[in-house]
Amino acid sequence: MKVTIKQWTGVASWKWVANDDNCGICRMPFDGCCPDCKLPGDDCPLVWGQCSHCFHMHCIVKWLQSQPVNQQCPMCRQEWKFNNK
Amino acid sequence: MEETADYKKIWTLCEKIFPILNDFNTPCNDEEPFLKNDFEEMCYFMKLNGLQDLLQHLVFNKIEKRLRDEVVPEFWSNFKKSDKKGFKPFYNAIKSLYDNYRKFETIIIRLELLRQATDIKVNPYNERNLHEALKLILHSCLLGQLQADYQTVTTSFYEAALKIEDIDETNVNAVCVECSEEKDNCNCVHFFQETNRKIGEMGFLEPLVGQTLTNLSYNYILNHIQKTCKDNYDSFISGLEKWLHTVVITCLKKIYYFDSTLSLNESMEMFEKKLVNYLYNSYTKVRIDQLFNIVIEYPESLPALEDIRLCLPRTDLKPLLTKKLQRAMETRLLHPGVSTTDILTAYVATIRSLKVLDPSGLLLETVTYPIHQYLRSREDTVRCVVSSLTEEGPNDLAEELNRAEPVDENTPIDDEDENWESWTPDPVEPNPTKKPSKDVGINRRNVDIISMLVNIYGSKELFVNEYRTLLADRLLSQYTCDTEKEIRYLELLKLRFGDSHLHFCEVMLKDIADSKRINQRIKEDSEYDENNIQLSTMIVSQQFWPPFKEEKLELHDTVLKQMEDFTKAFETLKGSRTLCWKNHLGIVNMEIALNDRTLNLSVSPVHATIIMHFQDKSVWELEELSKVMQCPPTILRRKIGFWLSHGILTEIKTDVFSVQEETESQTVTQEDFYVEEFESESAMASAQDQKEEELQNIWSYINGMLMNLDSLSLERIHHMLKMFAFQGPTTECTQSELKMFLSRKVRERLLIYSNGLYQLPK
Ligand SMILES: [Zn+2]
Ligand SMILES: [Zn+2]
Ligand SMILES: [Zn+2]
Repeated sequence: MKVTIKQWTGVASWKWVANDDNCGICRMPFDGCCPDCKLPGDDCPLVWGQCSHCFHMHCIVKWLQSQPVNQQCPMCRQEWKFNNK
Repeated sequence: MEETADYKKIWTLCEKIFPILNDFNTPCNDEEPFLKNDFEEMCYFMKLNGLQDLLQHLVFNKIEKRLRDEVVPEFWSNFKKSDKKGFKPFYNAIKSLYDNYRKFETIIIRLELLRQATDIKVNPYNERNLHEALKLILHSCLLGQLQADYQTVTTSFYEAALKIEDIDETNVNAVCVECSEEKDNCNCVHFFQETNRKIGEMGFLEPLVGQTLTNLSYNYILNHIQKTCKDNYDSFISGLEKWLHTVVITCLKKIYYFDSTLSLNESMEMFEKKLVNYLYNSYTKVRIDQLFNIVIEYPESLPALEDIRLCLPRTDLKPLLTKKLQRAMETRLLHPGVSTTDILTAYVATIRSLKVLDPSGLLLETVTYPIHQYLRSREDTVRCVVSSLTEEGPNDLAEELNRAEPVDENTPIDDEDENWESWTPDPVEPNPTKKPSKDVGINRRNVDIISMLVNIYGSKELFVNEYRTLLADRLLSQYTCDTEKEIRYLELLKLRFGDSHLHFCEVMLKDIADSKRINQRIKEDSEYDENNIQLSTMIVSQQFWPPFKEEKLELHDTVLKQMEDFTKAFETLKGSRTLCWKNHLGIVNMEIALNDRTLNLSVSPVHATIIMHFQDKSVWELEELSKVMQCPPTILRRKIGFWLSHGILTEIKTDVFSVQEETESQTVTQEDFYVEEFESESAMASAQDQKEEELQNIWSYINGMLMNLDSLSLERIHHMLKMFAFQGPTTECTQSELKMFLSRKVRERLLIYSNGLYQLPK
């Protein structure tokens, strides 16, 4: 018997590689989107800080805008710096 | 003595002038002429002796006796003959009766002369004149000896007349329908007219055949309506009314034309009104009996519906219509033998047809109430509604969705068949107390079918959720599915249900489009090697899809390797993201080449994995394969069954399977299979599974609450769950659902219930 797979259509879900399931700011799942967005993934990406915490980009930007003086990570209170890994 | 002789002579004279005075057994000719002298002598004598009244009395007595004992029995004897069909019996009876009547008329004329000559004042039977008296005697004798079934004869006479009148103009036959003679030789019309004239002259049309004519006309009309309307839902009412006038009423006019007792106009006007009313009533009744079919045949049956609408105001049949249609629905539609799809189709047709019958919507509410109740009790209703909304091909509901404007109760509706001039207030008949409170929200004047269907459930969420599950199934089962069409439907559904409810579906459709792009990109990636297997992947945003059925399955190494490569390429393409494979989902296109045959199949991943393992090793034990594939033996056995049924594997001994390189029978040849079992299986967890899973999730919350707070009432638990536990797109759990769930936990001895409070067992 010779079996030839002509086409295999598989199903997979995509997932952010992050150390938590939910965003620490909006409490929504990372694989969903922030409260301001409708579409997940490319349209509502995650960003990491140098402290290794990560958030929805829209959430941390909003947070930082509300903190004009000391721009800190809302989780660990270290100074927030984007980690461009 | 001389006087005695004179009497004798006079009596002879009298007998000469009135032969009827003789014994009726001896033949006598009442029309034989008499001598003027004889008559004058008789009159003189009568007057002299004052006997004229007695003579008149005697003659009348004789007439009466003759009528009663001879003429009328002879008349009725015609009715006893075995052949009662057609023109002849009644024609003959009337003919001989009339001949006798004419003879009596001669006697009456002589009596009139006597009265003038002798100045008789007494009027027999107190009638206006002697002719009237004669008619009176005739009528009372006729009716006094009435035959039990005389109407058989009269009916067939007049029926024949009607048939002659009722000749289809388009089908003119050269032969008379009654006597089968050539038209030129046929005397039927003449017979008919002659008989009518004679009856009219004798003045007993109404008393003798009035009832017959009424009954006959009614039956004839009813038959004609039934014949016309049978299995035909065209518009007939105006044609029928015309037919009534040109055939039935024309024929009746010919009959009543000779009636001497009433004027033609007087007698016909009443009759005509009665018949037109009867026509409308009968037609409406016939249509009401057909109404279920008419409804089902909508819109082809629209002309019939328009007819009913036209007729209803002229009859009192609305309550009958409501009752009959409701009963027909119950007996023909609302039972387990009818599929939900068929019920829904009928339901849509009902809404549309009843809108034609009664734009006010009252009738619709009354009639459809049982359908609502019934549909609510069917489990697959939502699924059927949703799937027919989005189904391929012409379909009532999909059409309705395309047509329907977004529902806005505030905008005035301009209904084409309704303008302010013809506007009437809502009728009040269908019993308002029976009106179900749930449906009050429906705007009666704007019957929107989709809304009505959704309102059966009172929940958009349930509806939308079912749609989402079906969409997910479609997207996963046919990778190449027409996303453009799905997007179009989604837009329509959004108009109807609002953006927020359908947002999840939007993401699902976007996933499919994105997947196509990503697959394309990865295939172009020079690092990505697709030597082993042509793999394409549906990459889903799981948060937005309904929960997938969880099934464990270890794929074949070659597939796993390909998936790993794909995942690597994906990770490179989309930084910080990776893929979680749903091994058991998807569809596999494969070719299987055996010694004597080649098969092309589309199968599920589990089926494909099984056969790939058999390629590596042609004999497997169930247990062994179960371990390799990490699939429970019972399930695996069922899946292997698929290959057994296609003759590719065979069970060589219990739980040991082998490849069947050569077919034993020639039945399986080269064929393209599409696997039904695979197609019909949903990749989604069913609504019930989902609910169950949700409830299992909240069980840990409940446990935690009870551990901290000791005992809680149902209301408290529900309230707290609402605050903390219920999230996500699926419908939340109602208090009664929660109660059922908790009762089950009590039965399983995981909870204790006392005094209205729940607590954990110590
Ligand atoms: Zn966030
Ligand atoms: Zn966002
Ligand atoms: Zn941090």
